Amino acid sequence: MDMTRRAALLTSAAIASSVAFPMRTFAQQTPRKGGVFTVHYGAEQRQLNPSLQASTGVYIIGGKIQEQLVDLDAAGNPVGVLATSWEATPDGKTITFKLRDGVKWHDGKPFTSADVQFTAMEMWKKILNYGTTLQLFLTAVDTPDPLTAVFRYERPMPLGLLLRALPDLGYVSPRHLYEGKGDIRQNPVNLAPIGTGPFKFVAYERGQHVIADRNADYWRPNAPYLDRIVWRVVTDRAAAAAQMEAGQIHYSPFSGLTISDSARLSKDPRFIVSTKGNEGNARTNTVEFNFRRKELADIRVRRAIAHALDIPFFIENFLGDFAKPGTGPVPSVSTDFYPADNGPQYPFDKKLAAKLLDEAGFKAGAGGTRFSLRLLPAPWGEDITLFATFIQQSLADVGIKVEVVRTDGGGFLKQVYDDHAFDLATGWHQYRNDPAVSTTVWYRSGQPKGAPWTNQWDWTNPAMDKIIDDAATEVDVAKRKALYGDFVRLANTEIPIWTPIEQIFLTAISAKARNHSNTPRWGSSSWHDLWLAE
Amino acid sequence: MSFLKLYFRSPPAIIGLVLLILVLAMAATADWFYPRDPLALAGRPLIWPFSNPRFLLGTDNSGRDIAAQIFHGARISLLIGLVATVISVFIGITIGALAGYYGEWVDTALMRVTEAFQTLPNFILLLVLVAVFGSTITTVTVAIGIVSWPASARLTRAEFLSLRNREFVQAGRTLGLRDAKLIFGEILPNALPPVIVYASVVMAIAILLESALAFLKLSDPNVASWGNLIGAGRDVLRVQWYVSAIPGVAILVTVLAVSLVGQGLNDALNPRLKGR
Repeated sequence: MDMTRRAALLTSAAIASSVAFPMRTFAQQTPRKGGVFTVHYGAEQRQLNPSLQASTGVYIIGGKIQEQLVDLDAAGNPVGVLATSWEATPDGKTITFKLRDGVKWHDGKPFTSADVQFTAMEMWKKILNYGTTLQLFLTAVDTPDPLTAVFRYERPMPLGLLLRALPDLGYVSPRHLYEGKGDIRQNPVNLAPIGTGPFKFVAYERGQHVIADRNADYWRPNAPYLDRIVWRVVTDRAAAAAQMEAGQIHYSPFSGLTISDSARLSKDPRFIVSTKGNEGNARTNTVEFNFRRKELADIRVRRAIAHALDIPFFIENFLGDFAKPGTGPVPSVSTDFYPADNGPQYPFDKKLAAKLLDEAGFKAGAGGTRFSLRLLPAPWGEDITLFATFIQQSLADVGIKVEVVRTDGGGFLKQVYDDHAFDLATGWHQYRNDPAVSTTVWYRSGQPKGAPWTNQWDWTNPAMDKIIDDAATEVDVAKRKALYGDFVRLANTEIPIWTPIEQIFLTAISAKARNHSNTPRWGSSSWHDLWLAE
Repeated sequence: MSFLKLYFRSPPAIIGLVLLILVLAMAATADWFYPRDPLALAGRPLIWPFSNPRFLLGTDNSGRDIAAQIFHGARISLLIGLVATVISVFIGITIGALAGYYGEWVDTALMRVTEAFQTLPNFILLLVLVAVFGSTITTVTVAIGIVSWPASARLTRAEFLSLRNREFVQAGRTLGLRDAKLIFGEILPNALPPVIVYASVVMAIAILLESALAFLKLSDPNVASWGNLIGAGRDVLRVQWYVSAIPGVAILVTVLAVSLVGQGLNDALNPRLKGR
C-alpha cells in the first residue's frame, strides 16, 4: 500500500535526522538568549499556586514562577534550589534547612525563613494534597535566623522521604501576600502568583492563555534564556497536534496529544516525542474495586477479573511502545523502592478466571451472565477510555456484564471517592518518587471520605496499615526499602486495587528546544536553562 | 392506489424509499451477518477498510469491527429516530390540538409555553437534560423527543385553527358530539397529513441530535450507535479518518432517505400539487 511506503520514507527521514541531530546539538552549544516558548495547556486548574495543589496541571505553569526548597537533578538526586543544605538529627525528629541568600520575590521583597515557616505550617500541612499526609506530624518550623528553617516533627521523618517529596510538595509562597489576607484558597494571588522563579507572571486569560516574562533579577547568573513563555489553552487534543505542526506550539507535556498523533509526530524530524524528562512522573493504570459489592469483596472475584484481562495484548495493540505491564503499586522506574520480588502476578488466563468465579459461587446464569458491574473511567486520558472499553470487552468473555458510565472530571471524583457510587473505577495512580508521598494513601484505611485518589474502597487490612505506618517513620534507608517490599507483596496478594499497566508520560517538543527533558520531572521544573535555537 | 401512483411519480422519492429499505434491511439482518456483540473486541485496532477480508470496513480504535457496528447501529439510530419522533409528535399533537381547538386563554397559555421552549436552542436544552438525567439510551431518546416537539405543536395548532369552524365540525357539534370525540375523531384525522410529513423531518433531526451528543461523548457508551463510532474516531481523525467517515456516510444516507421519503409523502399528499 501507498501508506506503508510513505510511512517507511518518513521513518527513514526520522532516523537520518536523529543521526544528524546529536552532532548539531553538541557542536553548537552556545545558548541563545531570547525567544518565546509556547506550551500546550490542556486542562485548566482552578489556580496556579503549587504550594496549594500538587498536580502536573499546576506545576506546568506555577513551577516556572515559584520555586521549591529542593528539586531533582539529572540523575534524580535531590539538589538545592531555595535551600542550599540540609541535615537531620539522628532521631529523625528535627530537620534543618539552610536557605539561599540574596533571593528576592518578584515584587522585590527578600525571601526569608519566615516564608518557609508560613508556607509549611499553613499550606503544606493544612491544604496541599499529599502534603497534609506527609506533614501530618510536623509540629513547628523554627526560624532562628532569616536563612535557617528548622522543621520539628512529633514522629521521626526519614530525611530521604522528605527530600524526595519536596520537589513536588516543597514550593514556597510569599508570606507577606497571604498572612492576614483571609482564606488562603480564595486569595487572588493564587491566580496571579508571585514567586522567586526565573519567570514573572504577566497575564492569565481564562480559556485563552497564560503569559510569563523573563525575571531579570533571577538569582541564578545568566538565567533564564527565554524572554517569555506562553501557555495556550487547547482542550482538543487533535487541534493541539495541528497547532504543533503549524509551529504555534513548541511543547505538549504529559501525554497531551492523542496516541495516534504522538506516533505520527514521532516520525516527523521537526519534533521529538519521548518519555525522557518524565521519569519522576511515572503512572500506573488502576482497576479500583468497591468492596461494598459482595462479589468484589471476594478475593477470588478480584483475581478472576485480573486474570481475565490480556494486558500484553492491550498494551501492544492500543498503547504501543509507551507502556509496559505493571508489576504492582511501585513502578519499575523507582530504583530506590522497586522490590526484587513483587509477589503474586495475574497473567491472562480466561479458564482460570472462569474457574475462580465458579468457585466463588457466581455461576453463569441466563445468557452466560454471572453478574453486572458499573465501571467509571476517569475522563483525563485517552488510554483510560480505551482501557475501560477493553475491561468491558474482556469481562464479557468471562460472564461479567460491565456497564461503562461516563462522567466529567468533577463527577468522577465525587461519585468514586465521595459518594462511593461505583463498582469498578479505572484511572491513574501517579507515583511521586516515594511510596509514602503518593501511593500508600491508596491502601491505608481511615482516609477522610471524599479525599480523591485514596482508599475509599471500604477495605481495611491491619497488617497493611502497620507496614505503611512503620515505613513512613523508619529512618533506616535499607529497612524502609524492605518494608515497602512487604507493602508491594501484600498489595499484590489482596489486590484492593490492581495496577496492571505502567506508563511514563509522553512529551512532544519542537526539535528547536535545547536543554529540555534533562531532569526526571522536567515538565514541572523551572526551565531556567531552557533555550530555543534559531 | 392513486396515492402510490402519485408517490412513485417523483424520482427522489423512489431513491429515498430504496435507501430507507436498505437501512431497514441492515437493521433486520444485523444479527444474521454479525451474530457477535458488536462492541466485543474483534481484532487488532485500526485495521484499514478492505485490507483484511475478516473486517470489510476495518476496525476502530477499540478493536471493534466497524461493519458490525454499522449494521447494529442502524437499529439504534432507527430506534432513537422512531421513538423520539413518536414522543415529540405525541406531545406536539396534544398541545397543538388543545390550543387550536379551544383557542382563547388555553391557546394563549399553551403557545407561550411552546414559545418558551422554542427560544431555547434545542441542543443546549438536550445537553442539560442529559447532564441531569444521565446518558443511558432511554434518557437520551426521551430527551431528544422532549426537545423537539414545539414545531409539530404549532403545525397542529394551525391546522386545527383552520378546521375547527368547518361545516363538518359544526355538524358534529350540532349532533352533540363531545369535545374529545370531535378533536380526536373528526378534526385530527384531517389535520394529520402535514404532521406526518413533518414527522419525517423530526426523525432526521433526532438521528442527527444523537450523533451530535455522541460526538461530544455524551451518548450511551454501552450501545453500538453510529454517533458513538464517530465520537471514538475523533481521536484518530488525522490519520485513520475512516473510523469517523464510515458512520458519517451511514448517517448521511439515513437522514437523506428519511427526508426524501418525507418530501415524497408531502408531494403525494398535498392536494395543491395534484395534477402538476
